[in-house]
Amino acid sequence: MSDTKSVEETIKDIVLTVTRKPDVNFSPTTDFKDLEADSLDIVQILVALEDTFDIEIPDEEIKQVRNMGELVVYIEKKRGEKGSP
Amino acid sequence: MSDSPFKGKIALITGGSRGIGRAITQKLAAQGANVIINYFRRRDTAESAAQEAREKGVDVHIIKANIGDPEKIDSMFTEIEARFGRLDILVNNAASGVARSALELDVKSWDWTMDINARAVLLCAQRAAKLMPNGGKIVNISSLGSRFVLPLYTAVGVSKAALEALTRYLAIELAPKGISVNGIAASAVATEALKVYTSSLSSEEKQWQTTPVGRMVQPEDIANVVTFLCSDEASMIRGQFIVVDGGRSLIPPGYNPVQDDQGG
Repeated sequence: MSDTKSVEETIKDIVLTVTRKPDVNFSPTTDFKDLEADSLDIVQILVALEDTFDIEIPDEEIKQVRNMGELVVYIEKKRGEKGSP
Repeated sequence: MSDSPFKGKIALITGGSRGIGRAITQKLAAQGANVIINYFRRRDTAESAAQEAREKGVDVHIIKANIGDPEKIDSMFTEIEARFGRLDILVNNAASGVARSALELDVKSWDWTMDINARAVLLCAQRAAKLMPNGGKIVNISSLGSRFVLPLYTAVGVSKAALEALTRYLAIELAPKGISVNGIAASAVATEALKVYTSSLSSEEKQWQTTPVGRMVQPEDIANVVTFLCSDEASMIRGQFIVVDGGRSLIPPGYNPVQDDQGG
């Protein structure tokens, strides 16, 4: 992942690329239900997040994450657990 | 036959941590093979499969890789080559798919399914063949959805048909190199994955899961045939698919020979 790009921007890029919804206006309160992502979208987003941030995302943990803001916090926490800068 | 016919062999099982793949992993390990377990996302499941295999006294290695991504396949084989230097057995078991009818399938679902179930088989076979200079065995796992129409199974069924055709081409091309390539076509196997396709079906629609034997096909039934196809006894079987379905595909829908013989 590029160091110059924030975690939030990287997540947005991944979600937009997978869901192919360029018109979605993201904010921390954007609920994932509003993206109308199907189950394949969600798998592809998780795979991309795991690859990009070099983390593991257990299904039971990610089920608790409801919106963009919570996802950013979750990803930063997982990166921290790995000792990333 | 020896209890450890695969002692010292190195086997890669894609999707080897769950369901049918896990049974194959454990069967090969029980017969002496050192196993490399490829998994998609669930590390805890892969580690438990690895521990179960290690208890059989073999070397076990796990590799996370989404085999729908060619770069990840490359990385996986580069890691195998660096660590083991060769491969003796490849089981292309990993599969995915989207449960939709033909008219509801979109490009994304089609590509996802074909990339994992068909293209990955080609890419893994290409890399594996280079690690089999003294010969080897490749077994590809298919399903009866390749030749029969099953509810919501369009994408997977078509991808499995491609896998079966690819198996025949690989079998002929690799035969002079001492590499045998065969496959298994299973009917509904009692795994977690099956629930994805059957949760919305009526009991009548689920009839194809039953078999004249009186039980469903279990993952271990598939693993038993994999070990046979990987044995020297099967060396003159090339490019073939062994149907493991308890006889299900031989009888028409609605006919239950066990029940009917009993006057039911």
